[in-house]
Amino acid sequence: MNGLTLIYHFQSSQNQDQEFRPASYRVIYFFNDEGFVEQATLVELLKAFPEAGADGMTFLNLDDLKAFALRVGQELQSPQVKLISVQDYNIGLDGAKDLTSYRELFSKYGEALMSETVVKKKGLLGKIFS
Amino acid sequence: MSHSEETRQQLDPVRPGEQWFCYWKTSASLWEARIQEFAPHEIIFIPLYWGFHAESDGSWDFGKYLAERDLGRLIQVLTQHGRKYCWLLPLTPAPFLPNGGVPINAARIMSISKPGMHLACLDQDNVLHKMYSFFEPKVFQNFAGFVAAFGNLLSQTKARAPVWGAEFSYKEEGKTVSFLHDQSLAFEQGFSRYLKKNQPPSEELSNSQAEMTLKSAFEKDLASLLSTMAQDALAPFWAGSKEIVIFGSGPKDTIQRAIASGKSQVDYFKDLFDCYVHHRWFSTCLLTSKEKKQLLKRCLEEHFDNAEIEHRFHYLAEAAEPGAEFRPFALMDLFDQSHPEIFQQNGLKEFLGQHYRWMYYQHDKLDFTPEWIDSSHQRIKFFHSVSMDRTLFAQALKLFMMGQTIIIDRSELADDLDKRLQIFFLENNLKIQSVNFMTSIQLCELGEGRLILFEGQKLKSQGDPLKFWDQLFRFFKLTHPVVQSDSEIFSLWRIRATSPHELNYLDVRRVNLYNPTSYKKAVHVHTQKKFAFMKVIDPLHATAKTTPEGVEIELLPNGKLALDFGHYEERR
Repeated sequence: MNGLTLIYHFQSSQNQDQEFRPASYRVIYFFNDEGFVEQATLVELLKAFPEAGADGMTFLNLDDLKAFALRVGQELQSPQVKLISVQDYNIGLDGAKDLTSYRELFSKYGEALMSETVVKKKGLLGKIFS
Repeated sequence: MSHSEETRQQLDPVRPGEQWFCYWKTSASLWEARIQEFAPHEIIFIPLYWGFHAESDGSWDFGKYLAERDLGRLIQVLTQHGRKYCWLLPLTPAPFLPNGGVPINAARIMSISKPGMHLACLDQDNVLHKMYSFFEPKVFQNFAGFVAAFGNLLSQTKARAPVWGAEFSYKEEGKTVSFLHDQSLAFEQGFSRYLKKNQPPSEELSNSQAEMTLKSAFEKDLASLLSTMAQDALAPFWAGSKEIVIFGSGPKDTIQRAIASGKSQVDYFKDLFDCYVHHRWFSTCLLTSKEKKQLLKRCLEEHFDNAEIEHRFHYLAEAAEPGAEFRPFALMDLFDQSHPEIFQQNGLKEFLGQHYRWMYYQHDKLDFTPEWIDSSHQRIKFFHSVSMDRTLFAQALKLFMMGQTIIIDRSELADDLDKRLQIFFLENNLKIQSVNFMTSIQLCELGEGRLILFEGQKLKSQGDPLKFWDQLFRFFKLTHPVVQSDSEIFSLWRIRATSPHELNYLDVRRVNLYNPTSYKKAVHVHTQKKFAFMKVIDPLHATAKTTPEGVEIELLPNGKLALDFGHYEERR
């Protein structure tokens, strides 16, 4: 598993309690090889995204979710953030039989976002230390 | 026990812990030898892999086709060796079984967790088990067939071993979630049928809250149906249902256990201690030898051994007074009527977390039996009026009359219960003292019994509810050593009666301290001038030194020790 992985849930628009609720993207799990990103960190970084719903980290469009994911990536110095929808996760899980094939799910499925800022920074550091 | 034997036991999928024997994981020819590996006094728990017994024609095989399905022979072996044993019949998907235990022909729709993810769990061999919905009608039909066939098998044998219904659950974000909980298509289709039966067509579901309540009722109905069906089919053997939390089985756990860092020992300790406080039974059957290592293994051996298992499954009654052996010790009982958040809201849980961590038991209902009343006599009982019915209210008042200390948060006390309370005061000619400290408090005493009622809701508006609890606990004058430590240090207290050469003490209390972190930690135990430090037991990467106030302990990473204290307070 390289870098961060974000699993999100897409909820289509619906009428609930006589109120229209637009489609949304909700962050379910955010983790890397060292563990889950602390909730306090996510809440802090979420402050820069006033459009995000306070109730459980929901975004109205995928671009906002991606921007948030990249912001977390920058904060944690991770050049890559992988976005996997719950649907993709479930498809991947269907084909997994053991730990190895389950781990592969996280590299096979989803969309990888590269944080240019972190890549550039890393490149610069690499030049300094090489 | 030699080192190699110990290592083999850890890796043993047939005996994954908590005295379980997974008969389907080994050759039937080895059953006898494997059973003899259990200590003779231990009760053997045999989980039933019911899907394993299914034949494609809908019949159930108990050894006709496959020796490993021959439960009759297994009973014979157990009886021959005079072993105590019982069966664990899954009433929910079982995370340690392929397909959750569901027969292949009924495993059609996977269970979906609250965030929408399919439920799957990694077992100790790193095999991924997918959970299938119990709301699929075919699962229900198969389950009915199995319990009937299993009931027939048991009635043909002379054995009278009990069958426990096992409701498996997982821990996630501090909550316990049943493996029955499901949001799959099978659940939704079942719910539609349920609505047609239970909701008049003229009444539409008015809001999402009403829908959630009905869905929860539907889930409970299925749980109760499965349990009743099993009880009917296995009547002479049925012992009841037990909730069993399977460590490492939640959706978040599965991800965490798959990534390089894995689930930390600290997190497993949190799960374990949460189960201890909530009096829930658990299983470590999914954990690999790497996960069940070091301190976790030691803590399980020291506190959750055969005697504790037998207590939890009611094979051993707890005596009213401490005996010669150490037993778990707590100071309080909290009754939440299945609303675990209520003691969070009035600040009690936060206070206990700071001053009496793991020194209380939280129950969803009151076990009003003479044995339990006697054994819990010394513990202070906290009740909340949310969802409190007449029976529970009457039982709480009875406990007060028996000389116990009862505290009731009366914030949402129903009118009829309030009237009943006033009548109770009048009938017993009780003197009520009213105090106003942050909220209105009523106190009355009868012999040794104390009854305190207060308005918990008002505490929220008063700023710091901890002040209220601090004051109230001063009134109780609890005598117990105070442990000051980091939140990632885990401690458990036990108590025993004094032996003849310790006559100076009222009782002896032992605290086991564990540091599952990778940092050095300091702990202070203040003896409050009521306890004498007696000795250090089994220190591992730990040191202790006495001070005028008590004992100072240094715990290195993965360090642990136990300390004994003699209680020398004068009897009142």
